[in-house]
Order: sequence, then structure tokens, then C-alpha cells
Amino acid sequence: MEPTKNETEKGLVTAIASYAVMALILAALPLFFSTYGQGLMTRFLIFALFAMSYNIVFGYAGLLSLGHAAFFGAGGYTVAILKFHYNIDLFWITAPLGILVATVIAALFGIIALRAYGIYFLLVTFALGQMLYSLTWNVKWFSSPGMQGITGIPLPDLAIPGFDLNTTRFYYVVLIFFLASVILLHRLVRSPYGLALVGIREDESRMEAVGYDTWLYKYTAFVISGLFAGVAGILFTYYNFFVSPNHLGIVTSFLPMVMAIMGGLGTFLGPVVGAAVFIFVENFASIFAPQRWPLILGGLFVLTILFAREGIGVYLWRLWKGVSYRFGSSKG
Amino acid sequence: MDWFVINLLNGLSYGMVLFLIASGMSIVLGAMGITNLAHGAIYMVGAYVGWTVAMHWKATFGLGLLAGGLAAGLVGMAIERGLLRRLYKQPNEQVLLTFGFVYIITNLCLWIWGGWPRMPFTAEFLRGSFEILGKTYPKARVAIILVGLILAIGLWWLQDKTRMGAIVRAGMDDKETTMVLGINLDRAFTVIFFISSFIAGAAGVLGAQLLGPRTSLGLEVLLLALIVIIVGGVGSIQGALLGGILIGVIDTFGRAVFPQLAMFTMYLTMIVVLIVRPTGLLGRKV
Repeated sequence: MEPTKNETEKGLVTAIASYAVMALILAALPLFFSTYGQGLMTRFLIFALFAMSYNIVFGYAGLLSLGHAAFFGAGGYTVAILKFHYNIDLFWITAPLGILVATVIAALFGIIALRAYGIYFLLVTFALGQMLYSLTWNVKWFSSPGMQGITGIPLPDLAIPGFDLNTTRFYYVVLIFFLASVILLHRLVRSPYGLALVGIREDESRMEAVGYDTWLYKYTAFVISGLFAGVAGILFTYYNFFVSPNHLGIVTSFLPMVMAIMGGLGTFLGPVVGAAVFIFVENFASIFAPQRWPLILGGLFVLTILFAREGIGVYLWRLWKGVSYRFGSSKG
Repeated sequence: MDWFVINLLNGLSYGMVLFLIASGMSIVLGAMGITNLAHGAIYMVGAYVGWTVAMHWKATFGLGLLAGGLAAGLVGMAIERGLLRRLYKQPNEQVLLTFGFVYIITNLCLWIWGGWPRMPFTAEFLRGSFEILGKTYPKARVAIILVGLILAIGLWWLQDKTRMGAIVRAGMDDKETTMVLGINLDRAFTVIFFISSFIAGAAGVLGAQLLGPRTSLGLEVLLLALIVIIVGGVGSIQGALLGGILIGVIDTFGRAVFPQLAMFTMYLTMIVVLIVRPTGLLGRKV
């Protein structure tokens, strides 16, 4: 059923209102948290952004990529190298360069990876990511002396007089990037372009028959997704003060996949829910059972598959709808 | 010349271990459409159990091999029967579930066996070395090459000449028709999964000479298996054998010639294969 113009406008108002509420809550949260809690929130936002970027290529375009950390790590390594080798930490230089490098690598990898289909696509993206991992692991230029990786990267310089970044302020920098990305990506997936991606996911040959250049759609989705992963990687390196080959490799590539699946694949905010669950479970498990947190995390994946197959985000949404239906408070 | 032969033998023995690791995963992926990322973790279970039986309890190496294979086979079968069978044709869910098991199995191994890596070990009669072209060469590595070749022939026969193999190949091409013809594919799949995990576990004991039991194996071995499958192609014993030997030899020579670029030659091979033949050297068309 086509929504009438009135309904579309109403939907838009609801969307804007709900995003405004989300932004306000996220902006107010640090007031109630210690520095540690703020750090955790920063980490959550960065990974939520990373997972959302992955969701474009996986959830919407339906391409199961296992090398998404390549772009995350490429952005992260770029700002780390700029600081370590050239002593540049002016954010307005490092961030655009980091995004550029991540996007260029995504553009190159996309050409190779999109030669393959299905499970082979997964294998190819994995291989490309591991190649970067191996490069940074073996070439000394990518490491501080005696390290695997570059350490001691301070928070960037924003070049605003009298305003030096600290943990709390950096949270707001990350929040701004997060919200801007949410808005941009939301517009992207709701546009005809985003709908075409879903069409390709559901039935590529039909879309081709209708006259869409499906390769170009998938390719641009791959590159856009890499760009936003690069943004997350840049923020993560500054948050973490350290970047290592692992941030380009398979261990990191799994994270957005796991978050996106856990939260609810192909739903817009599912990956954010997945990131929240992952980061907070990881944190509390590592506090209360430091030896056993991988066990708990692994168990969580299995339980998600068994009991919340469509993702925890979708599950919560259903639960909420069921509750509101029972109390008759809204039409849902 | 002897430099070349020694490295070639090293590469071949490494390649045989890689073949054993990748063969099961490749068949499971090709025949059942299951992406089992826990395959490396299952290999690790075999390696640890084999170490416990052969070295800790001081039973024979053969018993260790059997115990490692059985333990791995049972773990694999439990995952398949209990969980994976509900997830046929759902690659996303398979990836999440089996990667969850990488975490779980790795942590359980850490719990049971502790974090210290075990020394490489092998059978009593394979310790020591013999002379080859005036150089000494460890017996164990030659044994690995021989055992690997025998297993390769056996698996090849199983795949191409037996009813079991025919069912697998039929299931790969058209699952529905195969089932309509009265073949119990569910049971066949469980058997395949058990065999695949058994081989991985036995490879964990056999390969303990090259990749000693340690808790990082789950991911390390998964990486190697994926690379071999990419190069050789999904779904056949021949592909896994070719991929394993190729990667084993190239990686060994790569390390000998450019020590500072360890592993890079392996990835480079993979990229070249992907560009030339995206489905792997002997891959089936999908």
C-alpha cells in the first residue's frame, strides 16, 4: 500500500522526533556517569557506527563480508601513522586523510571482491583483510619500536583555542559523528538507492532484468560502507590510544557482523542494539568473570541464534509492541 | 640443491597438515552448505586430547591419534546434531553460531589445559632423524607426508567411488531431489560432519609436530583452512589437496627467501588465485 503524502509527513515527523529524543538522551548521559562510564559509552557509539556501516553492505545489499575491519583499521592506522611518523594530530587534517585512505582501499577491494558471489565473497573479503593484517604485522613502518602496532596516540587537536579534548569532550565529538552518520545513513537506506539495494539482496537477477546496473549498486554500497567504517576506525584509534594489526584482521571483522546479526539484520537500528548488548556484556563479563568472558560472549551468540533468531533488537521491539498492545496505549 | 629439497620436504609436510585441516571444512561447506568457523577450534580439541593421552598419560601415540580424532568428532557431531541442523541454508546464523563456538571451545580449552603452549610432540619411533642428501632430516615430517598421501587417496576413493560419496555429490547438486529419491540426507550429513571433525582432530595430533597445542590454534587454524579452501576451491578433496600443498610449499619457501615477509606470500598467492579464478583452482561453479 502506498502511504499517502500526509502519512509520509507524519512518519517523517515521528522519525525526526524519535531521533531528537535519542540525541538528547545520549547527550545528557555523561552527566550521570564517571569517566569510566563515559569511556564505555564512547566505545559503544564507535562500535555502533562501525556495525551500522557494516549493515549497509550486509543487511541491505546482502553481501556477507568478512573483511570489514580492513577499512576500520585503515582509517585507524592512517591517523596513527600521521601522528607517529609526521607528528600531525590536527583533527581537520588527520580525519579527512583517514577517511580518504579507508575509502580508497574499499574502492580497490570492492573491485576484486565483487568478482565473487555468495560464500566466495565472504572468503575473498576475508583474504583481503588478512593481507592488510599481514602487511602491518610484518613491515616495521607500521609499528612503534618493539611493538606490534602504534601506541601512544593522544586525543587529536581540534585547533579551538582554550578547548583541549578530554574523555568527556571526546565523547561529544564521537556523538556528533555518530548522529551525523545515523542521519546520513538513514536517508541513504530510505532513498530509492537504498530500496534498490534491498531489491538486489532479494532477487539480483530480477533487478538486473528491470535494468538496474546491480554491480554498480553493490560496489557503491561497499565503498560507502567502507567510508563509514573508516570514520569509526579513526575515532577508535583516538579513543584507544593504540592501533594494532588485530584492528585490521579477522577478530575485528567479526565484531560488526556479530553485532548486526545479534541486533537484527537489515533493520536500521538493529546493529546499534547489537553493539550495545555486545559492548556492555563484554564489559561486565570481563569485570565479573575476567577468565570466562569469552565463554559468556560465545554463549550469548548461541542463545541469540536459538531464542532471538531475528536479532535481539527485533525481539525487544516485538516485546514492546506486545506490551503496548496489551495495555492498549497505542496502535503500535 | 639440498637447500631446495629440504625446503620442499618441509613445505610438503606442512601442506599435508593444511590439506587434512581444510579437507573436512571444504566438504562440509560444499556438500552441506555449512560454514563451520569452529573447524579450527575442533582441530584444537583434537590436539589437546591427543597430547593428554599420548604425552601426559604416556599411552602410545596411536592411541592419542585415535582419542584426538574421536574427541573432535564427537564435539563436531554434537554441534551439528544439536544446533547446526536447524540452520541449513542460513549462512548468517551459521557464522554467528559457529564463531560463538570458537570463543566457547577456546575458553574451555584454556580452562581445562591452562594457557601454556605444549611442546611439539610425535610418536616414539618417529623421533630423531635420518640422512637425506648428506643432511639430517626429521623422520616425523616424512611420516606426515606419507600419512597425508594415504589419507588423501582414501578420502578421494570415499568421495568418488562409494555410495557415501555419491550421496554427498548428489546432495551438493540438488538436495531436494536426492531426498525425494529416498536418501536419508540428515543422517548422511551427520556422518559427514563426524568424519570431517574426526579428520580435523586427528590432524591436530598428527600436526602437533608442526603446530603444537596452544589456545590460539582455534583462530590460526581457521585462517589457514580458509586460505587453503580459497586457493583450492570449495567442495572437493582434490581442491583441498592442491590448495594445501601449494600453500604449504609457497609459505615455506616464502619464509626461507623473505623471512621478514612471513605469511605475506601466502596471502599474495590467494589474491592472485582469486583474481584469475574467483572459485579457486579446482572449485565447483556456484
